[in-house]
Amino acid sequence: MTYETPDELRYTDSHEWIDDRGDARRIGITDFAQDELGDVVFVELPAEGESLESGAACAVVESIKAVSDIYTPVSGTVTATNDAVLDQPELLNTDPYGEGWLFEIDGQVPEDALDADEYREQIE
Amino acid sequence: MTTMQRIQHDGTGGSHEADESSPFAPQTPQEVEAMLSAIGADSVEELFDVPEAVAFDGEFDIEAKSEFEVVTEIEDLLGRNADRTEFLGRGHYDHYVPSVVDYLSLRSEFLTSYTQYQPETSQGFLQALFEFQSMIVELTGLDVANCSMYDAATALGEAAALAARVRDTSGSRVLVPETIRSERRSVLENYADGAELTVETYPLVDGNTDFDALSDRIGEDVVMVYAESPTARGTIEERLSDVAALADEHEAAFCLGSDPVALALLEEPAAVGADIVIGDASVLGLSASHGMGLGLFAVKEGYLRQVPGRLVGTSETADGRRAYTLTLQTREQHIRKERATSNICTNQAWVALRTAIHVASLGATGLSSLAEECVTRAAETAARLDEIDGVSAPADDRHHFREFVARTERPAAEVASELADRGFLVHEVGEYEIQVCVTETNSGEVDDLVAAVREVLV
Repeated sequence: MTYETPDELRYTDSHEWIDDRGDARRIGITDFAQDELGDVVFVELPAEGESLESGAACAVVESIKAVSDIYTPVSGTVTATNDAVLDQPELLNTDPYGEGWLFEIDGQVPEDALDADEYREQIE
Repeated sequence: MTTMQRIQHDGTGGSHEADESSPFAPQTPQEVEAMLSAIGADSVEELFDVPEAVAFDGEFDIEAKSEFEVVTEIEDLLGRNADRTEFLGRGHYDHYVPSVVDYLSLRSEFLTSYTQYQPETSQGFLQALFEFQSMIVELTGLDVANCSMYDAATALGEAAALAARVRDTSGSRVLVPETIRSERRSVLENYADGAELTVETYPLVDGNTDFDALSDRIGEDVVMVYAESPTARGTIEERLSDVAALADEHEAAFCLGSDPVALALLEEPAAVGADIVIGDASVLGLSASHGMGLGLFAVKEGYLRQVPGRLVGTSETADGRRAYTLTLQTREQHIRKERATSNICTNQAWVALRTAIHVASLGATGLSSLAEECVTRAAETAARLDEIDGVSAPADDRHHFREFVARTERPAAEVASELADRGFLVHEVGEYEIQVCVTETNSGEVDDLVAAVREVLV
């Protein structure tokens, strides 16, 4: 099976994606991650205004199979959260790169973040 | 396959090795030998450091007696118990347990089932636990109830920890009534210590929350306000809605302590604004002599993911039939590991079963009339004691449930002790205060109690 891995995004080993949107970096989980997890039934998000160090567990994604911590790949202050996923956790499955995003943070994309090709190799 | 069988099948073990193997450990003597030589130890004993004083020396020091001798000895011992009529209450309430409760709950499918949680084999038990939860939901008006905690004290501790977790901003204080019973307070303190909370009390006036004092004590750092109805003094709390609104203003959770019989009569906790209800449900299903608890724990839907303990839910089998199964286990420690919010992964299944059978056998009408009796019997008994010179009852000018405090002119310790000499047990709760609890199981002895109190106060 092939997974969607948009070229314009950066990625992490732990299957988060980073979208550099100019004023902030948007974070979510990849198509591969949502497929591995199965049906997502519950999401916990960081609080807006919370300041995070990169690598910190800051969100929780719970599927029918497992509970997974989401680690922020970017340090900074949380500037927005996608509250829609709290009511509709299935958005992570149906649209992981779109409506299923998790939060936005104001720090910079780390240099060691993977590009799409590197991430594709990772999940092959 | 047990070790013994394997040794025989392998044809390797002589009787000597078979003796050394344990029925509780699956290793063969050869495997043990291989592991010992790999780590360079001579014997298993070498791996343990057991002080000589407590090491087993091969003698149990048990005197051998026949079954008949043992029964005789124990009957003799039991015969030395003082035969007294209890009017005690304060957490342990005696209600008549219908024989159907024993008849059904002692069936081996229920009594010795292990484990009750396996849906393939335990639909009956799971359904009974689901019914228990449904009863608690109906009595509290809240959205979710778990299938029990160890006791009311554990439920209260878990409630405080939950309240601290769900709050958007951090807080550090939990407010409880000064009359809270000591066992609830001490378990709550244990939880509070680990959750970095402090427990503070607020006073009561005439057996009800001193609302002005509570308003003074509450603040933005309070995560939970706990109130009880009936209170530890047996009074029915009259300002629950105000307390709930006050807690809400300060973003604190409001936790109500009650019990399933009282809930059949009192206003629905959800309607007065309770976020969490805790209590002891074993007032039904078990006699007071068990001293065992059955914590009830119910919350509003917003706290669903934070509920400690086990939840039974409904599902569908492959062929579309209704089935019961544990649900939302991802909250629990065996799945979520160190990120779990509570370390409780079990419940009091068998006691919950008994309580569910008891409630079902009473039915809604039976439960309400039992609750009404708890009010009228306490009121009648208080009125009769009040006629005695030197007694003022009830001490609190409130409605009461099952029990009440009576003020005595003589010191309460003397009154309680002299009543005990006459065969009646009451609690001494203050220097000049005794507490008396009346249910259908001791109401036949109220005449004698009244006569004894009259004698004692002459």
